[in-house]
Amino acid sequence: MPGIPTEELESHLTARAFCLTSAVWFALATTVGMMAAGYLIAPDFMANIGFLQFGRIRPIHVNLVLFGFVTPGLLGAAHYYIPKLMRTPLYSQKLGLATVILWNITLVTGVIALSAGHTQAREYAELIWPVDVMVVAVFALVFVNMILTIRNRREPILYVSVWYACAAVVMTGTTYFIGNVVWRPDTGALTGIPDAILLWFYGHNIFGLLLTPLALGVAYYVIPKVTRNPLYSHSLSLLGFWGLLVVYTHIGTHHLLQVPVPTWLKVIAIVDSIAMVIPVMVFLINIWYTARDRLGEIHGDIAGKFVFTGTILYFFVSIQGSMMALPQVQRITHFNNWVVGHAHVGVLGFAGMIALGGLYYILPRITGKPLYSRFLADLQYWLVLIGVSGFTVVLTIVGLIQGNAWLNGETVYRVLPEIHPYYVLRVSIGFLIAAGAYVGLYNVVRTLFFNGETERP
Amino acid sequence: MSQKMTPTAVVVGSLAILLTIVFMVVFWPWATMEDSPSEIFRSRTAREAAGRRIYMENGCVYCHSQSIRTIDWGHGASRIAQAGDYVGDSPILLGSARTGVDLSQEGGEHPDDWHIAHFINPRYTRPSSIMPPFAWLGMEQIQLLTDYVQGLGMKNADRRMERQRHWKQKVIEAYEAGPEYNVRWLAEQVPEGWRRIPNPYPTTEVGLARGHKIYQEFCLGCHGPIGDGMGPAQPWIYPPPLNFTILKDREISGGIIYYQLMNGITGSAMPYFKKDLESEKLWDVGNYVAVYFINQSDANGEPRGIDASNEP
Ligand code: HEC
Ligand code: HEC
Ligand code: HEM
Ligand code: HEM
Repeated sequence: MPGIPTEELESHLTARAFCLTSAVWFALATTVGMMAAGYLIAPDFMANIGFLQFGRIRPIHVNLVLFGFVTPGLLGAAHYYIPKLMRTPLYSQKLGLATVILWNITLVTGVIALSAGHTQAREYAELIWPVDVMVVAVFALVFVNMILTIRNRREPILYVSVWYACAAVVMTGTTYFIGNVVWRPDTGALTGIPDAILLWFYGHNIFGLLLTPLALGVAYYVIPKVTRNPLYSHSLSLLGFWGLLVVYTHIGTHHLLQVPVPTWLKVIAIVDSIAMVIPVMVFLINIWYTARDRLGEIHGDIAGKFVFTGTILYFFVSIQGSMMALPQVQRITHFNNWVVGHAHVGVLGFAGMIALGGLYYILPRITGKPLYSRFLADLQYWLVLIGVSGFTVVLTIVGLIQGNAWLNGETVYRVLPEIHPYYVLRVSIGFLIAAGAYVGLYNVVRTLFFNGETERP
Repeated sequence: MSQKMTPTAVVVGSLAILLTIVFMVVFWPWATMEDSPSEIFRSRTAREAAGRRIYMENGCVYCHSQSIRTIDWGHGASRIAQAGDYVGDSPILLGSARTGVDLSQEGGEHPDDWHIAHFINPRYTRPSSIMPPFAWLGMEQIQLLTDYVQGLGMKNADRRMERQRHWKQKVIEAYEAGPEYNVRWLAEQVPEGWRRIPNPYPTTEVGLARGHKIYQEFCLGCHGPIGDGMGPAQPWIYPPPLNFTILKDREISGGIIYYQLMNGITGSAMPYFKKDLESEKLWDVGNYVAVYFINQSDANGEPRGIDASNEP
């Protein structure tokens, strides 16, 4: 490791551990996703093994992509850029490493519990009470390490990425606690319609207050670095930040537009889902103007490429989301695979792509060596991009078939044979994403542990 | 870059926003929402509650909604959901996908034996279903699950279950009195007018082909590939699925078959198909059964109306 003192390398222990965590769970989560998709075309395959049955592994897939792949990936980057921006080492690498280890214990416990049928059966809030407590503890530990690092800073001004990372961790710890009704260990739920309102307030915040701000933080860091342009506008950063916090937090009821919840809540949710265009576009204008005239640099840098693509998919998923909040549109899109398509562009196309970008940005910088293989990283980029685009197209078509057929009075059962071919297509496209995950895992492991001195093609 | 964005401003600011909004959009509705039970509400029995646990443990909620909308026509659309239906639910299990059907009014749609066969393997009663099989749960848990789904719809479900039990007893009596009596009894339950109507459309090659396809997708699991009532669901169903061959020379008109398919035979596992299949499809599959399994079809026989314009 020429030129870089070992202490500084060791000082990235936490970021490395987060990278490895993210890469491993990405591979496992897509494997589980493949199984889930497989059951939808061959329901009798392995399905009499209770703990591998569709209803058990679907929440495992979703929890793993959210809390195993995307969140640790984005936090890995944050544990690199916060010390960099604050010009001080991370407050405690030991604490950081302990946090990552606890994080992984939490995930393993969660997976085992879910596959054994220990669940609270609330989407995105399935994890049982002891695991909930562990998740909150993990976020608290991350926060402590972050805030103490910031306290020690030698740079007076907080860059926008730091705001996003801090806010995401604080707010997620809080909404997770509230959303999982941690004060009621037995059910982890309220009763009746208020439980649905709380659940979707929380569920939506997992995308809005965890994935989105963490991903925006990475984009705000990587894009100016890669393009070597200063950030286009600091006023826009401010507007985008506070706008996101104010608007994103209260539109969760757009998941419940067809349910008997109070009308005023629905009105707020619909109106402000449209208003989401403001914080979204403010961010995008800021980032895209920063990257203007430098698309060549972005294309040439694997991290830049992932992150920039993530911002384009952010545009897509948000405009799509605003549309999906219109009651007229939801008559067709609600309850079917259109929403599953949206979920994959959002969580994989936007947040996941940016997490991968962050990972590839920091890997050479925390190991002091070039990436093990730029080719494999490029390959992963294309596998994931083609995969997620394919998912979006196929699932949107399935959603339209289902939605229109139902609206027309056809029964769910009658539509099953019609959507079967698309489910087969989804599995085939899924292979690309899963392959991408394994290619990435190999690359990350080689880069972290078995990297020779020379760069491969 | 703003000097004012201190760590305190970021942390306290975001928490203040978050908590204000929790107060507005979570606490306020919780505190102010009317929570009186609706007219169909009743609380769950201990067995139903145990079944609900199994429902939660096995992720039924990822495929089944429990929330009927104003725009629905399909399964369960006899009653639009009201807030007062859910006052006993913790957690509430609305669901966000309809990979399967809505179950909010499932109680009494079928008798228990249908559900048990369906849980053992959904393909037994619904050949192209993609629902997972639940035989591995064991009979005891399947029974609890069945009790739970038979209570969905609460007081409405209780009324439907009453009807199922009433007719279950009758179909069993008829079945046990022997095939001769059973066939006559079944026919007598069909309203008089329908009984005298022959299948109004002539037997055609394409009509039989369509009938064959529908039979494969809807009937095979019970009545079996050769119509002898020995489909894979048979061991779980009582009275067992009808053996069509016993219908020969027993004056089974196209009208009887059509009516039974449209309406189902409440009490027996024979479901209604009026929501799944439109008129022409019902005539087609009915004639397929008549031609191939009963070996006797009255298609296009007397009395006849004016032939439809598409007839060959
Ligand atoms: C992979 C998604 C999936 C899962 C998981 C699932 N189902 Fe289903 N379910 C379906 C589909 C599709 C149908 C419609 C076809 C059929 O009747 O089998 C259905 C139908 C049903 C029906 C029959 C409705 C009717 O009257 O026609 C019941 C009852 C039912 N499911 C209960 C359950 C229960 C209880 C569970 C959990 C133990 C469950 N399902 C899990 C997909 C699923
Ligand atoms: C879940 C099992 C099941 C399925 C699926 C099913 N049936 Fe039946 N069917 C039964 C049972 C049970 C009976 C009544 C047996 C009795 O009471 O003796 C019956 C009776 C009938 C009868 C007798 C009517 C009469 O009055 O003589 C006809 C005709 C019939 N079924 C046709 C069909 C057709 C056509 C389909 C597919 C579209 C179908 N069934 C699907 C179980 C089923
Ligand atoms: C302006 C931004 C957005 C708006 C207005 C929006 C709107 C919506 C709406 C209305 C639904 C519910 C659809 C239905 O059930 O009918 C939904 C679902 C979903 N959204 Fe978004 N969305 C936005 C951005 C995002 C982003 C950025 C992500 C990911 C990071 C995301 C992830 C999801 C997921 C995972 C679901 C599925 C929830 C479920 O399981 O039912 N969304 N969105
Ligand atoms: C191998 C690739 C993948 C396959 C085959 C796959 C398959 C699936 C399947 C079958 C479901 C359940 C849908 C249903 O109930 O109908 C699902 C849900 C989901 N998946 Fe994936 N998935 C893959 C990769 C990913 C990745 C990489 C992410 C995120 C980074 C992701 C995020 C999600 C989310 C958020 C949901 C919940 C959607 C909702 O509730 O609406 N998936 N996936």
